[in-house]
Amino acid sequence: MGEQQQMQPDLSFVKGVMASGGETVKKCYQCATCSVVCPLSTNDSPFPRKEMLWTQWGLAGRVSGDVDVWLCHQCGDCTKHCPRDARPGDVLAAIRINAIRYYANPKALADVFNSPGGVVGAVIAAAVLVLIVAAVWSQITGNAFPFPLNHEGKVEYHEFLSVIPIDAMVLPIVAWIIYVSYNGVSRFWNDISKGAGLPESFTGTYPKPSIGLLLSKYLGPAVMEILSHSRFKKCGQTAERARGHLLLLWSFIILFAVTNYVFIAEDLFHAALGLISKVTPLPLYHPVKLAANVGGIMLIAGILMVKSMRTQKTEEGVLTSAAPDWVLIWLIFAVGATGIGAEVLRLINIAPIAYPVYILHLATIIVLFLSLPYGKFGHLIYRTTAYVFQRWADDVKAGKAGFGLEKAVGAAH
Amino acid sequence: MSQSILVIGGGFSGLTAAVEAAEMGYQVYLVEKESYLGGRVAQLNKYFPKLCPPTCGLEINFRRVKTNPNITFYTQAEVKSVQGSAGNFNVEVVVNPRYTTPQCTNCKPGEAVASVEAPNEFNFGMDNRKGIYMPHPMSFPNQCVVDPAVAASAEGQKIKDAMPAGHVDLSQKPETIQLNVGAVIVASGWKPYDPANMERLCYGKYPNIVTNMMLERLASPSGPTGGQIVRPSDKTMPKKVGFVQCAGSRDKAYLPYCSYICCMATLKHICYIREQSPDTECYVFYIDIRSPGAKYEKFYAKVKADAKVHFIKGKVAEVKPGSSADSVVLVAEDTIGGGKVEQEVDMAVLATGMQPVGALNPIPGIEYDADGFVKPKEGIVPCGCAKRPVDVVSSAQSATAAALKAIQMIRRAG
Repeated sequence: MGEQQQMQPDLSFVKGVMASGGETVKKCYQCATCSVVCPLSTNDSPFPRKEMLWTQWGLAGRVSGDVDVWLCHQCGDCTKHCPRDARPGDVLAAIRINAIRYYANPKALADVFNSPGGVVGAVIAAAVLVLIVAAVWSQITGNAFPFPLNHEGKVEYHEFLSVIPIDAMVLPIVAWIIYVSYNGVSRFWNDISKGAGLPESFTGTYPKPSIGLLLSKYLGPAVMEILSHSRFKKCGQTAERARGHLLLLWSFIILFAVTNYVFIAEDLFHAALGLISKVTPLPLYHPVKLAANVGGIMLIAGILMVKSMRTQKTEEGVLTSAAPDWVLIWLIFAVGATGIGAEVLRLINIAPIAYPVYILHLATIIVLFLSLPYGKFGHLIYRTTAYVFQRWADDVKAGKAGFGLEKAVGAAH
Repeated sequence: MSQSILVIGGGFSGLTAAVEAAEMGYQVYLVEKESYLGGRVAQLNKYFPKLCPPTCGLEINFRRVKTNPNITFYTQAEVKSVQGSAGNFNVEVVVNPRYTTPQCTNCKPGEAVASVEAPNEFNFGMDNRKGIYMPHPMSFPNQCVVDPAVAASAEGQKIKDAMPAGHVDLSQKPETIQLNVGAVIVASGWKPYDPANMERLCYGKYPNIVTNMMLERLASPSGPTGGQIVRPSDKTMPKKVGFVQCAGSRDKAYLPYCSYICCMATLKHICYIREQSPDTECYVFYIDIRSPGAKYEKFYAKVKADAKVHFIKGKVAEVKPGSSADSVVLVAEDTIGGGKVEQEVDMAVLATGMQPVGALNPIPGIEYDADGFVKPKEGIVPCGCAKRPVDVVSSAQSATAAALKAIQMIRRAG
């Protein structure tokens, strides 16, 4: 007699997938054409056929803890060759949205960050928060509110909100994002270890690489692969989509770097430690400012490329796009547009428009990053984790992980 | 008002419907497009349910046709149009010339002098025939045919001169007949779905990819190899044979429906191969094995018990060249065993489905659905594979039912 297991179908998960772009999942009759035609699918663990079945059955835990879901880039080759129009590529995209929700806490925020109304509401809420903090800050500094000008009579955003109130507002949010993301990724790691059949310890935990090994042997190569988009570029039907996405990724890296430069120089060295004098606003010829402007233009160009490619592929029927896809695209566009807008308006010194745009810029950034563990933006952490895990699991299975697990592996399947 | 019945198609369904109606006392016209009666069953090596050769079953029906004065049959004849309503249909039929006379039952003298060869359609082009030929050894009517492409040429004259006087008549012309009938039974049958449509399956690209109907001819004693199942490229017995199920069927891009017979046909083909070659391995790539009914299920169980037959649940979605020019690799996901399977085989058999003739050559005046199956209406009764994909047993049953239905419609109209 084999082990008996009672199925626990989660109907809300099935409905969730069907509502977020995967409404065709039940058309699948398991011929497995998709797994063969997929250019990214592996020989040992082909996808997306098995994910289609698990979703039909409502096995939310099994699907959410399946690393292969994150190795899919929605090329659409499976969808093109599907004999039943079950559109596996779109179903996997919907599964990813729901998997992020599965690991999110609280889950209600996932619904907020995946709907256009929710995101607009969140941006307004964040803008009101910024405005309140600025109003309070003006009482402390004695600066004019809401349109302060500096001693030269120019728009200067530090007159409105200096680093201290911004950090007071943003750092707790960052801490929250890290907390929820870490929590989600840890549970995800455990679930995908189980899903991949890795050996379980007697305490019910799964092996993890040490931090040193994680960074050097697994995260490093995974990040290098992501930076080149070599896997995304293998997509048959939609390889062109990788171009815009790559530009966008690099713009995020540049903007992240310049933001950190300003954070360290201005907030830390100037404001907190008093080691250096005030660095912002940086003059236009400053290398960091140049990088920031290049990054901002790349961000807008990248997101417009992503948007037009998605529109084109949606019209061609290669993929379908759901609300979370457009929400993320428009949110990133809003971050870029308000960023460039705030800078231009500051330079031409139109205070009544510059400050509202600046407020919107701060609000959209807050909402974008707050959506990291909740919305489609979460693919940044989960896909990266999946890329790392795939390398790690291969090593564990091959007996190369190096802590005596070699014998147990392979018996799991 | 007419009391007679037109049966379109002289395959197993049409023959059955014709004799059933005629034996009830009704006048029947049977119109067959090919030069022989018996249809697709005549091409089979053996057929379900008893795995007997086509002679059993067809011969008794031929005798019933021959001895029943109520049946008038035409071969090489096409229904051009059907007009009117139940009780009063006007039908135009064109009968094409055979260029021979009924006493011409031996083509040998003509074949001996003929030089031009053409692909033999009966064997799906796996061998050639001359300008004068017998469609197949058990043809009914047992009368030679002269290829119309040859009849008008010098080759035709050469054949005529070589044949006994009065056997070949090159002056025959197509003849148009007008029939008035009370009901029409459509038994126009099916064609094997064209495997070239499925580009991914590489039919025509590699020599040793054949269809299931080609395998029937290879296995048949009257076939191009005298019944030896050998692969086309080097005429050797394959040691590994892969079966590609649902080749075109259950696919919105090709045939959206299940063709019903291909699973049982493959199980039968495995029996042919395993009888001829005890060490040949068979690999069946399938989505679901459909073996309806207790008898078919038992047959499936029997084939499954053979250690040399391997069932892989997963559709072949890619075909690659093998390690030699003669072999191919079939790629599928093994959805039960896990992982992708790349199986190299000496010969691949595409289990192509049934496409109703209505999808390719519709008859004006008959209504068809989107897939080419005949839509029934008062006075027009489809049966067999013109109605839906079925096996021979179900075709015969639906043909008997169709005869009854046609008679009822005539009596209602009259």
